[in-house]
Amino acid sequence: MDDTQAETSEKHLNYNSVAALIFVALSIALWVLIPDHVDKPLIRVVGDVSLPAELFPQVIAVGIFVLGIWFFWKSRSLHQRNELRDLDREAITNVAVTAACMAGYVWLMVNIGFVLGSMIMIFVVSTYFGNRNYWAGALVSIIVPFALFMLFTKVLVTSLPPFPIDEAVPSNWAIYEPLKWLSNKSVF
Amino acid sequence: MFEAFLGGFGILFNPETVLMTFLLIAAGLFLGMFVGALPGFTTLMAMAILLPISFFLHPLLGIPFLIGVYKGGIYGGSIPAILVSMPGTGAAVATTFDGPPLTKKGKGRKALETALFSSVIGDTASDIFTIALIGPIAAVALLMGPPELAAVLFLALIVISATSSGVFVKGLLMLAIGLFFAMVGQDPIGALSRFSFGITSVESGIPLLPMLIGVFALPEIFAGIEKKASQIISAEGLKVSGERLTFAEFKSCLRTIGRSTVIGTTIGMVPGVGQVVAAFMGYAAAKSASDHPERFGQGELEGVAAAEAANNAVNGPTLVPLLTLGIPGDNLTVILVGAFIAHGMRPGPQLMEEQGSLVFAILLSIILANILFLFIGYLCIPFFAKVVTIRKSFLLPLTLVFAFAGSWVFRGQPFDLAVLVFFGVFGYVAKKLHFDVTPMAMGFILGPTLEYSFGQTVTLAQGDLLTFVTLERPAAAAILALTPLLTYLMWRRNNRLRQRFGEGAAH
Repeated sequence: MDDTQAETSEKHLNYNSVAALIFVALSIALWVLIPDHVDKPLIRVVGDVSLPAELFPQVIAVGIFVLGIWFFWKSRSLHQRNELRDLDREAITNVAVTAACMAGYVWLMVNIGFVLGSMIMIFVVSTYFGNRNYWAGALVSIIVPFALFMLFTKVLVTSLPPFPIDEAVPSNWAIYEPLKWLSNKSVF
Repeated sequence: MFEAFLGGFGILFNPETVLMTFLLIAAGLFLGMFVGALPGFTTLMAMAILLPISFFLHPLLGIPFLIGVYKGGIYGGSIPAILVSMPGTGAAVATTFDGPPLTKKGKGRKALETALFSSVIGDTASDIFTIALIGPIAAVALLMGPPELAAVLFLALIVISATSSGVFVKGLLMLAIGLFFAMVGQDPIGALSRFSFGITSVESGIPLLPMLIGVFALPEIFAGIEKKASQIISAEGLKVSGERLTFAEFKSCLRTIGRSTVIGTTIGMVPGVGQVVAAFMGYAAAKSASDHPERFGQGELEGVAAAEAANNAVNGPTLVPLLTLGIPGDNLTVILVGAFIAHGMRPGPQLMEEQGSLVFAILLSIILANILFLFIGYLCIPFFAKVVTIRKSFLLPLTLVFAFAGSWVFRGQPFDLAVLVFFGVFGYVAKKLHFDVTPMAMGFILGPTLEYSFGQTVTLAQGDLLTFVTLERPAAAAILALTPLLTYLMWRRNNRLRQRFGEGAAH
């Protein structure tokens, strides 16, 4: 909604007013936290005029407090829609599922490696969002993580979580040696 | 500065790297056009998720790659705008006025070629202007000391908050939140720990890359998945049909392209305005200057040329405040700041002094990018037209994979993935509640420099800050005194633009 159109002569409390109060509360919390969470120098030279580490946090805390009060005063004449309330059941479900997939993906990536974790995530998410061509889904799920892993590890010489071959595959299994060889080549 | 400019030629055309620079710019342009052509996928998102790739390349390769994504993305948005009246990016909204009617008349190919040629001309002319302007401005900027730098940064942050979309006080609050996030970790003067809560991963501060990807890319993903099967377009309507653009038709658009280029270039130098306003203003100017304004909106090639030349002409000049003063003008240039900082090149007066040749090499590579832009755009128009039909069900998880991989490679810590998700959710909620995250990102990036410059000023003042600034540093005092007036003028201008061109205009 347009800023200027959003202002009306009618004054009432709305989600912006609540947000303003949250900002005021945050500023107070920040002010209270400063003494314990900003380190002091071990030695303070007499006549030292340098900027103390707690000054900027204090300025920001005061700034958020003052702006919060201004926002609260202004919020009563604002007429903006809280678009979170406009989300229908489908949107909430999709966002929640995606957020859950992201959390799951973090776990998978750290524990079973980037390639395998990404394969699972791509296949699950693409299927959830309507892909019914499972062969295409499987193909994309396999090719893209391998390609990205190679790009980041070989071309850009960075690291992504590798597949934990020694923990996941017993060394007496026939597949262990080929997988170990591929892993040593940074293929996955 | 002229020596630095000549040195830039030497660096750019170094036989060992020039081919690679070409290839990476081409790759950036291709990827930018690809994402730009996808309705619902923005240039901003493309730049955010591709930012990590640029981190691990030499600055002469990585930054032009990202600029390629930027330029390609802005142009790419015009393809679905012309073919299916669905702008791939906000910058292409004005292109939907005449593009689709031309397609309906069987002149889709002419419209796409007009968009391409206008974009390339607008972009190239504004880039040449940018290179000519950066030297003198940088020379003036070099005269600035810590007090002037602190004053300029303060002014920039306030102006950016005033010109962000939404209510001014909300922009200021987001700026303050960004400044707070920037304080987490160590203070820039004494390296004392602040708000790290004993968590080792936080001791060095909130990582820049996951924050940028989270706040700019993930909210777009969340917004894109609200409807499962939206924006899947039939491939049948996407044939690039009709005759090619003739030289006479192109020539008839030249005056319009020139006018729009001037409009776009001027707008690009002003922080917080951007491509959308430029496109609308270019279109409006072309219509009012035309002998047959009634044809605009009915399928007029000049309408497409006006919007496309103007929106692309913004790209180059946005680099002027960025490179000379270290001030990003919009959210796209915030991403570029991230790339510069990752390469140890903090944009600002010192950068031009210390690495002027490299900066000019990067700027000259942008001109090179425009030549490639023409070829890639021309050859790949039919391909990018088909890109519009790619299923979202595949694109969304692939974007997520890029975002997560990019966040991981920065420091290789699981904590960074948590930062990514936190800022993604934060950005999505902020978007839904009409809080613009751009001032927050600006505050996060510029906060430490502001605090450091201010700290240096306090030390220089030997305790008497007011007397020092007013008597010994009048330029800094003047900037600070003018801040309220300039902020008000920019805020008023932005409000007027919003009233005239709608909410999207101020983005």
